[in-house]
Amino acid sequence: MAVYKRGYRRYQGPLTGRWARFMVLPRYAWRRLYQQRLVLMLTLLAMVWPVLCAGFVYLTNHVELLQGLDPDFRRFIQVDATFFSYFMYVQGGFAVFLAALAGPGLIAPDLANNTLPLYFSRSFSRWDYGLARLAVLVGMLSIVTWVPGLLLFGFQVALAGGWWFRMNWTLGAGMVAGFVLWLLVLSLVAMASSAYVKWRVVAAGVSLAFFFLLSGIAEMIDNVFRVTWGHVLDPAWAVNRVWCALLQVEAPEGPGATASATALGVMIVLLVLVIERKLRPVEVVS
Amino acid sequence: MDTVPVVELENLKVRLGRREILHGITCRLGVSGTGKAVGLLGPNGAGKSTLILTLLGFLRPSAGRALILGRDCRRHGGEARSRIGYMPENDSFIGDMSAVTFLRQMAELSGLPPEAALEKAHEVLFHVGLGEARYRELRTYSLGMKQMAKLAQAIVHGPELVVLDEPTNGLDPAARRRMLRLVAEMKKEQGMNLIVCSHLLGDIEQVCDEVVIMKDGLIVHHCNLEEERRSNKCFVELEVTGDDGQLRAALPEIGADGVSEGGGRWRIVLPPGVEVDALWALVARQNLLVRKLTHRRDTLEEIFLKAMGHLAATPVEAAASSEAQGRPL
Repeated sequence: MAVYKRGYRRYQGPLTGRWARFMVLPRYAWRRLYQQRLVLMLTLLAMVWPVLCAGFVYLTNHVELLQGLDPDFRRFIQVDATFFSYFMYVQGGFAVFLAALAGPGLIAPDLANNTLPLYFSRSFSRWDYGLARLAVLVGMLSIVTWVPGLLLFGFQVALAGGWWFRMNWTLGAGMVAGFVLWLLVLSLVAMASSAYVKWRVVAAGVSLAFFFLLSGIAEMIDNVFRVTWGHVLDPAWAVNRVWCALLQVEAPEGPGATASATALGVMIVLLVLVIERKLRPVEVVS
Repeated sequence: MDTVPVVELENLKVRLGRREILHGITCRLGVSGTGKAVGLLGPNGAGKSTLILTLLGFLRPSAGRALILGRDCRRHGGEARSRIGYMPENDSFIGDMSAVTFLRQMAELSGLPPEAALEKAHEVLFHVGLGEARYRELRTYSLGMKQMAKLAQAIVHGPELVVLDEPTNGLDPAARRRMLRLVAEMKKEQGMNLIVCSHLLGDIEQVCDEVVIMKDGLIVHHCNLEEERRSNKCFVELEVTGDDGQLRAALPEIGADGVSEGGGRWRIVLPPGVEVDALWALVARQNLLVRKLTHRRDTLEEIFLKAMGHLAATPVEAAASSEAQGRPL
């Protein structure tokens, strides 16, 4: 029978599980995000570097193609920690812009439209909501960071053989761990700016300014007090320091990986607290 | 058979900041699964919204507890909320989403599988009269359509209990009638329990079976409208000239009760079966001259005004009220 003829009847069928309900918001958000041309274009653009890297991996594993090249250059082009660190810098940069582009559209509209009471009046908690929004960004950024990174790693293993994996498996694990840490910071910064700034463009600006501002403050502290520990306040520097430790490449001068990881951990906790304050179904004015 | 109340409050206290908004409310409202509506009335700041927000688990009680459909709002909030639909007072929707997508998302969040959610979204939009506009973005809707969309999202998952906060706000008379008809259908045909919070006494009177009147964070009156209607009391406003000092003592002769408002003005309650003629005769026996006599059945407005203290209660009612509250007159 046609819907318009049927009339309303209460639904009394089976209900989905907790995980399926949790994935509702990410599913709808991804659909809406990838309908935006700019997001789609930036995602596609972010795939160019992994494709070039894949070409590089192919080249280094086919000696016959390198016959005519200079021996020094042949020694230089290798798939090692430095190669993966370059891959991570470029993809990490794309992730910053993608987070700034997609993040503001997640929480701000829900706050502006007063939608939170509708979500929280169902069996969907504030933590579920926060984690669902985080999953939107982390999932989206994963597509341009650790997922292609892991594919690249797998490609290299496939071409070089099992011995290469046994020698370098820490590179793959380090890359995933390093990216996950960076994505967490990026996503939380984007969510916090979205929770506090109503206008998308301004929220995107705030999201980007956060990194530049902290970088400037870190540089200022270092120069004024003639120290190097100020770097830990710069999330980009701190995450780079952690990446260097994870991939075991030469690290820049300054605080160690543990200090940098701790600083990032504190930053993540503070961002979670800042977001938690805003994600309430009702605002209590004292 | 053991009946589960829709709402059960035990010494419920809620603080917002330093201010205590609800001062230890205890009551049992409605019976789960009976398809009855409870009206929540009260002036601004009485604590109605705070009570609703506490029942939904949005606010934490500072003392006591609140149970909804037999589940503790804090400890088993998720379980309780899965059986509730909530229509908030203010605009709440995703403006750049079409009504059908919005409702589908809300239904899926409530646990409906995607196909069933889509089907129910269409079904409920036709039910509330938004069938032709279901693919339009919600921000393009008029105020009345938005109210209907809010109602639709509250019932799309077929909840046992629907909490409606000011459902007829901003509606024109035709839309208001339609909304009230839908609300009445929800309880009669779907067996849903309702909690309706409104300032409009007419709305409450039309759709509710039970009424709770709140004032200053307390429940000042709780009555069963069905029983009130059935009791069929007749209220008389009387204005007489002459010495009316003995009238109050004489009223029980005809089983009536009344209170003097001074200047010869009286408010009298006639019990069922006693006609106004009996009062005419009594007044004549008292040698009083009737200047004005109007009579009507009890209305919710009367009950509300009495609860707010704008009307004096008759001595019998005052005694009954004091007895109910356990304190002397």
